[in-house]
Amino acid sequence: MKKLLFLLLAGIVAATTAPALAQDTIKIGLMCPLTGSWAAEGKDMKQIVELLADQVNNQGGLLGKEVKVVIGDDGGDPRTAALAAQRMATRDVAAVVGTYGSSITEASQNIYASANIIQVANGSTAVRLTEKGLPYFFRTCPRDDEQGRVAVKTLLDSGYENIAILHDNTTYAKGLADEAKKLLDKKDVNIVFFDALTPGEQDYGTILSKMKTKDPDVVFFTGYYPEAGLMLRQKMEKGWDVPFIGGDATNNPDLVKIAGNKAAEGFRFLSPPVPGDLPTKEAREFLDAYKARYQTTPGSIWAVLAGDGFRVIVEAIKQTQSTDTQKMADYLHDEMEGFPGLTGDIAFNEKGDRIGDVYRVYRVDADGNFVLME
Amino acid sequence: MEQFFTQLTNGLAVGGIYALIALGYTMVYGVLKLINFAHGDLFTIGAYLGLTLLTSLALTDHIGGIAGVILLAVMAMGLVGIIGILLDRAAYKPLRTSPRLSAVVSALGASIVLSNTIMLVYGPSTRVYPQGLLPGQVFYIFGLPVPVMRFVILGASIALMIGLYVFIQRTKIGTAIRAAAIDQDAARLMGINVDRVIMLVFFIGPALGGAAGVMVGLYYGQITFTMGWIYGLKAFTAAILGGIGNIPGAMVGGLLLGVIEALGATYISMAWKDAIAFFVLILILIVRPTGLLGERVAEKI
Amino acid sequence: MKHAAGQIKKPAYAVIILLWLIAPLFIGKYWTDVLNNVAIYALLGLSLNIILGYGGMFHMGHAAFYAIGAYTTAIINTAWGVPVLWLMPLAGLAAGLFALVVARPIIHLRGDYLLIVTIGMVEIVRIALINNVFGITGGANGIFGISSPTIFGFQINGIVAPAHYFYLVTAFLAITIVLFYLLENSRFGRALKFLCSDEVAAEGSGINTAGYKLAAFVIGAVWAGMTGTLYASKMGFISPESFSFWESVVMFMIVILGGSGNIAGVLLGAALIIGLPEIFQGLQQYRLLIFGLALMIMMIFRPQGILPPKPRSYPIGKLEKNEVSL
Repeated sequence: MKKLLFLLLAGIVAATTAPALAQDTIKIGLMCPLTGSWAAEGKDMKQIVELLADQVNNQGGLLGKEVKVVIGDDGGDPRTAALAAQRMATRDVAAVVGTYGSSITEASQNIYASANIIQVANGSTAVRLTEKGLPYFFRTCPRDDEQGRVAVKTLLDSGYENIAILHDNTTYAKGLADEAKKLLDKKDVNIVFFDALTPGEQDYGTILSKMKTKDPDVVFFTGYYPEAGLMLRQKMEKGWDVPFIGGDATNNPDLVKIAGNKAAEGFRFLSPPVPGDLPTKEAREFLDAYKARYQTTPGSIWAVLAGDGFRVIVEAIKQTQSTDTQKMADYLHDEMEGFPGLTGDIAFNEKGDRIGDVYRVYRVDADGNFVLME
Repeated sequence: MEQFFTQLTNGLAVGGIYALIALGYTMVYGVLKLINFAHGDLFTIGAYLGLTLLTSLALTDHIGGIAGVILLAVMAMGLVGIIGILLDRAAYKPLRTSPRLSAVVSALGASIVLSNTIMLVYGPSTRVYPQGLLPGQVFYIFGLPVPVMRFVILGASIALMIGLYVFIQRTKIGTAIRAAAIDQDAARLMGINVDRVIMLVFFIGPALGGAAGVMVGLYYGQITFTMGWIYGLKAFTAAILGGIGNIPGAMVGGLLLGVIEALGATYISMAWKDAIAFFVLILILIVRPTGLLGERVAEKI
Repeated sequence: MKHAAGQIKKPAYAVIILLWLIAPLFIGKYWTDVLNNVAIYALLGLSLNIILGYGGMFHMGHAAFYAIGAYTTAIINTAWGVPVLWLMPLAGLAAGLFALVVARPIIHLRGDYLLIVTIGMVEIVRIALINNVFGITGGANGIFGISSPTIFGFQINGIVAPAHYFYLVTAFLAITIVLFYLLENSRFGRALKFLCSDEVAAEGSGINTAGYKLAAFVIGAVWAGMTGTLYASKMGFISPESFSFWESVVMFMIVILGGSGNIAGVLLGAALIIGLPEIFQGLQQYRLLIFGLALMIMMIFRPQGILPPKPRSYPIGKLEKNEVSL
């Protein structure tokens, strides 16, 4: 037993007195869920940011120095995230990208704030995160209220009167569903159904049948693509042809694979534009590079938003010629305008939220392609 | 009323899958009195192996249609069965003479190891089965559309169960299994090679779970490495509901659980669906621990 | 001989305690926070130890009690502004009551079935929290804006000053260790351990086994509930993710791997299970896999844990003085 304890102590001592790293690198942190329920998101985030860092380094680095990505695992859980944030704060990073999941990000916010480190979140849409007056917190993802607004506009513009809202009880999906409901309640429409399914369950016959009895004109589903795909297919099997509209979590090429072309056709969803639909050189180059390296297109829109988080940090460093937190924050708040991101133009307001009309409506065509609707 | 029947059919369809997985649980429990926590993960392995076999061997391209699917299922069953035996060797055999808690904890450890291995090997994202391998016709019963595959799954589960039941009741080996389930030492005295019996049980049980995995993969189209957890727990509930150690009980329990879940979710709330299943489990153990068709599990002195 | 063994132990303990107390001064915020986490899990492990270690009841739903304590604190604190430290006993009480109600019908179940039922229980609690049962749990988003503990006006902010928090939680841990040590050797503790090893004999000796088991559950729950308060006030917000079945598994592992039924074992378990992943950051992905393997291997080779409880030893001298007649 004593041996174990000494080993433990030795380990702690060794880890804390690790030699300081070389001074000719700029470190940018990435906090992401490498383990836990959101491991798939974390993996995508890591792949994208690492690819972007390599691109920067291949073009001569940043301010003449090599960019190094420091990765922290938040485990998809607030406690682990708090620890990861504490750890990241000791690693001398210029700024941190991350993370996915509003409660996870929240657990790390104050730690980065008190350590004066800029944090650019990519997958945390809860409104309250930017209502705390934290001067160094930004996010490249839009907020639930914005997506809710666009969703409601789409629903109303299409003339639907009886609306079913379905979520999956995760913070993201429920947040979006609540926002949409809040706005719809003020309008002249009926919300005939508001409930949650259980993700990972696969058989949604029960909930589809239940919704069908309420006879909605449309179903607004705020959950994730696996469930969306399954529901589209199962609803077709039941012979029910009600239109489905999804939130940006349904934006994933596998959606069509799961649902099958026939069932997916006509499905619409909201999303920030994907790199493939942007006319900018950066987006195109990025997509080619990603495909070359990983043999597939980026899976999740939030991972791409992490890529944007990384790029705005790099841009801020470039433009201010420093890694000073206050200078970078000032640049991001006041001076950055129309920066060409992988998901459209990026600029931040004084709260750190992304401004501009980010959301677009996409439609799945008969061949399973995602087509931007205008 | 139409809602009721629709949900009934929904429930039976899912229940068929629970029943198939429950059969595996109940077999192992019957002989070893062990809750094989890792059983749900064996089900998941079946689904993933099926995917690998399908994509790497392109079975259906060569053999075509239904025959290909059946061959796939059989191969997956065989592989998962072997993994089941290995699992027993690694995690449970060394603990045959230890107190029960040790085996259960080891089972938990094995479950964690298996699901994480799947994640590390296949990646954390959901994986998709190639589509279009199964016939997609829809039958109409009382005017309600029911995809033909739901019948097939239910039918396959029932067929496997009947096969298993006949095997256990009518064959010599089956009798040996039953003897070992009643009293291992007495069985040994009768000249039954109990170790072989256990090995067989650990082949058949997981094989059935693997079959369920392939069916789920083919029918629902997508699989994740965490599937095993919830399916496993529900299948376990089904086994307890029907009476653990009892094969027809597993079938009845599975179907009943599927229906209770579907109706409960419809008339109470969708978001509480899983809680309803757990609640049923707790209720059964408190009120009627024997299950509907089976044996005692509580010791009251 | 026995005295010699005792003498080796005590200085080792003293050194460890001293190192622990001065650690925050040297190791920086991150590692202090790691130690904070170790302390919290040590508390959880100790509370589970009463149920699992002394009582021998396979309980995998401990996170439910932890959750109830944390949520009780969060709800009352955010609704009525009651300072968190005052809420600790209340949180413990809430968790204890819950345990009383829930454990009563299941206490007689056989080992592995009790295990499954406790799993069902913790999942139901988690689903209830996510579904915002009674409208007070904040759903999947949880509850935020929980105040930090204040002692005579001095605010202990766990986020920016882990060192302050460290001393608070260490103080509670110390009190807990002392109390539990007394409990272990009290009549209650001895009865519990007796019925764990042989329930029939215990019942035959006149011990109300059901009553003791229930009491063990309640005491364990009360302590877990109070730890929930500490956690809630440290994080400033709580959400259902932190109270899943896997949290229960972690607590279970701490007790089983560390040494079921031994306070020192549980402390070691907490230190290893929480501390090691932080030291070996590179292996993060394999963390769960390693734990699973550890469980399997430990059960085969050392099922009593790294530090199993030692049998009580009585110095002969004492017995001769207070001779007990049979």
